[in-house]
Amino acid sequence: MTDFTIWLESSALGVWTRESPSIWAYPTVLTLHTVGLGVLVGANCVIDFRLLGFAPRLPIPSLAPLYRFMWAGFVVNAITGAMLFVSNATTKARQPIFYVKLLLIAVALLVTAVIRRTLARELSPGGIDPTPAPARRLAALSLALWTGAIAAGRLMAYL
Amino acid sequence: MDAFVVWLEATRLSRGIVGSAWIWPLCEILHFVGLSLVIGIAGFFDLRLMGFMKRVPVAAARELMPLAIVGFLINLTTGATFFVGKPDQYVNNVAWWAKMGFLLLAGLNAMFFETTVGARTIDLGAGADTPRAAKIVGALSLISWLGVLYWGRMLPFIGNAF
Repeated sequence: MTDFTIWLESSALGVWTRESPSIWAYPTVLTLHTVGLGVLVGANCVIDFRLLGFAPRLPIPSLAPLYRFMWAGFVVNAITGAMLFVSNATTKARQPIFYVKLLLIAVALLVTAVIRRTLARELSPGGIDPTPAPARRLAALSLALWTGAIAAGRLMAYL
Repeated sequence: MDAFVVWLEATRLSRGIVGSAWIWPLCEILHFVGLSLVIGIAGFFDLRLMGFMKRVPVAAARELMPLAIVGFLINLTTGATFFVGKPDQYVNNVAWWAKMGFLLLAGLNAMFFETTVGARTIDLGAGADTPRAAKIVGALSLISWLGVLYWGRMLPFIGNAF
């Protein structure tokens, strides 16, 4: 494992991300990771809070385009996250909190997909329906998981 | 300004913030949660103002805005905590002033919307296009919040680092 992470760190991408003095290297990768977080978690917040009963006049089917924003945010963060990992792979691979973060993201994505399928099944197009109870519970779970993923990500700088 | 920084750093509150092992990380976590609320909720409303996602009634999108305000208040509180803790790394940091500038722009833009264009935009239903002024306000809002995020992230890189 350590051989592999050392190889990652010494790769051209790892060295560039970590050591380039350019503002386009580490600072920009980190900024894009934060923008992606805001878009991915933010779009989730819109749908989750709506499912929890906020803004009842907001038709749930009209929120469908937000899933495209989530995908965009996720792709940006998968790429920038991989770059950040490669730049400091040995340290990060030894941090238990890093695996907690990955697990929380994986489960959060799964919950997001289940919410989407639940809504597609239970909602008539264009209707303003009373929110199905399973969707409400999933929305609360989704918010908790994304908050946990953010917390774990921040704590990587401390633990 | 230097005298203010010296005074603030000597306060018991400032020392308490810096001396604690958990206050700073906790505030960072909350700052990122607040960021997600502002970018997500306000960004959603901004996109509708700009004419995207027309199936969303404008007034309904606005009903979520209190959550963006909650996010903003979380970040105002946690941001103030950072500032009180280590004022010198902010007042002498060009990125922080740029961040405050974009924050001011976001605030003025929102005030402009509320006092002018808002009235003839807010009742627009599903499918309705927004007036050009509302599109500009939406775009400006999105740009200013992303500017706040950008300069916040640049605090350790462009200014004098942490």
